Amino acid sequence: MLIMANTELSVNKPTGKKTLMSSRTRSKFVDFLFVLPALALLAVFTYYPVAKLVQISLTDWNLLNPTWEFVGLKNWKWLFAGTGAKYLWNSLKVTFLYSLGEIFITMVGGIIFALIFKRLTSGFSAMRAIVFVPKYVAMSSAAMVFLVILNTDYGILNYLLSLIGIEKVNWLDGKSTALISVLFCTGWRVVGYGMMIYLSAMMGISSQYYEAASLDGANKTVQFFKITLPLLSPTTLFLLVTTFLSSMKVFQSIDIMTSGGPNRATEVFVYQIYQYAMVDFRMDRAATSAVMFFAILLIVTVGTMKYSNNVVTYDS
Amino acid sequence: MNNTAAPRLHGKRKGAGYHIQTVAAVLITLFMLFPLYWMIATSLKSAEEAQLIIPTLYPHGLHFENYLYVLTKANFLKYYWNTIVMTVGIMVLQVGTGTLAAYGFACGQFKGREVLFYIVLGALMIPLQVTFIPIYIMCANWNLTDTFLGLILPEAVSAYYIFMLRNTFMAIDQSYVDAGRIDGLGRLGIIRHVLVPMSKASIFTVTLVTFSNGWNAYFWPKIIARNEVRRVLTVGLAQLKNTFAGQAVANYHQIMAGAVLAIIPLVILFIVFQKYMMTGYSKAAMK
Repeated sequence: MLIMANTELSVNKPTGKKTLMSSRTRSKFVDFLFVLPALALLAVFTYYPVAKLVQISLTDWNLLNPTWEFVGLKNWKWLFAGTGAKYLWNSLKVTFLYSLGEIFITMVGGIIFALIFKRLTSGFSAMRAIVFVPKYVAMSSAAMVFLVILNTDYGILNYLLSLIGIEKVNWLDGKSTALISVLFCTGWRVVGYGMMIYLSAMMGISSQYYEAASLDGANKTVQFFKITLPLLSPTTLFLLVTTFLSSMKVFQSIDIMTSGGPNRATEVFVYQIYQYAMVDFRMDRAATSAVMFFAILLIVTVGTMKYSNNVVTYDS
Repeated sequence: MNNTAAPRLHGKRKGAGYHIQTVAAVLITLFMLFPLYWMIATSLKSAEEAQLIIPTLYPHGLHFENYLYVLTKANFLKYYWNTIVMTVGIMVLQVGTGTLAAYGFACGQFKGREVLFYIVLGALMIPLQVTFIPIYIMCANWNLTDTFLGLILPEAVSAYYIFMLRNTFMAIDQSYVDAGRIDGLGRLGIIRHVLVPMSKASIFTVTLVTFSNGWNAYFWPKIIARNEVRRVLTVGLAQLKNTFAGQAVANYHQIMAGAVLAIIPLVILFIVFQKYMMTGYSKAAMK
């Protein structure tokens, strides 16, 4: 660090023309040193692993065996045409369904909540905080409390339903309800986030639009659909893309609440990769699935980036 | 809502819509609060009370020994320590590498600056869920399983942090940087005495997000720290359910105590720094 300070001084007070060139190059090099630690770590822990992943997908790497060799596209055949295909399509379907649910809750729930909670009083500000706080509740804790609430025999939800005459629902063990149960938990955590994003965007809409519209006799409902919603479309697109990308990575709630069951009804993509790698120790198959997963993320990200270059950024 | 005319009426006449909105807001808030309430209420119940067919709405008798059990018998004290060290480690490294890199990308002059910055941004598209297999193998080869280093290193750089901070630094008028230089400050001096003080709020917000991400991390800690020595709270909590597999229903009162313990630090942080933590994410969205 001291050396850097010294070079800096020599840049500021060049003593002669001879040293000027070299000190300028040196200065550039010192600038580069500032980004070096981050770049080096990214190279080792982000970019190198991607290359390694592709390589592993071409081998028969099984953690239970001491050696491995290249087997060409065998894993890829297994994934698309072999026994892996059935599970691949199933997990793709489950992941997209889950993703759709989370996007729906974030966007529709978020905008409804934003309309309800937009009043600028201290009471509403406190309520907004309460609606938002689940975002900071650890997923483990959230998943656990929803396990308690949704428990078939003594969960409070089934008890409340029984009061209005609805039979016990096997929330987490039912093939059709398991994914919905997980979405309850996710929805609880994300809806306040959607609300805050929409609220801050709504604050940015000039009140002149609404004044003009009400002079023209447009009521609140018309104003919402003709002014608010269209002007929020960049925000909606942002939420759509970022929520899609983050929901594709869902793992924790599935791992804790359903373990991919019942009968793979909630086996999302990342959970499947995890199973291949850390339970079956089939690094080759896990890597192949992971490359596939990465390709999907990449296509979606690059695609939307091209589609809307300046409207949104992809930083969450 | 249709009842209230758009130009605000002065005075106290408020339409029915206004009151409906208030009622709806209060009901939703209570609804959103319920899981947290239920977590705390269940954590204080006895084993029998936690499994009544007709649930009691509040604990009849406060069983604080559930917390004691989780902290000592279920090793949550150790998990706390592991989580704290991991989170602080990640935070310090992300802030350190991130601040330096943000300066380099915002103010530095070197060849390939733009390209390298895009490489950093590209990392946003490559989550650990994609790369965890090679990283796990690498860490295993370096004997980093069940160590703090293994927990921390793969998360040591945050492209998100670099991106946010670089934007903040670039928004600062160049004349401040020049003034610092004239006063004889070197690069590190400019970062410390000019750039960082001027972007305090930003740095604080992003750091809080970083902290909460670290605290709530689950995927990587579960993979790299499979043994109890370096298990973190989130994983330990999930394990609490698994240890009693088969009769999992029997210990929900203890699991809820664990769940409460796992979220207390962040909820306190949220209450204290609410302003920053609520804008943290939306700031990212608007950038």
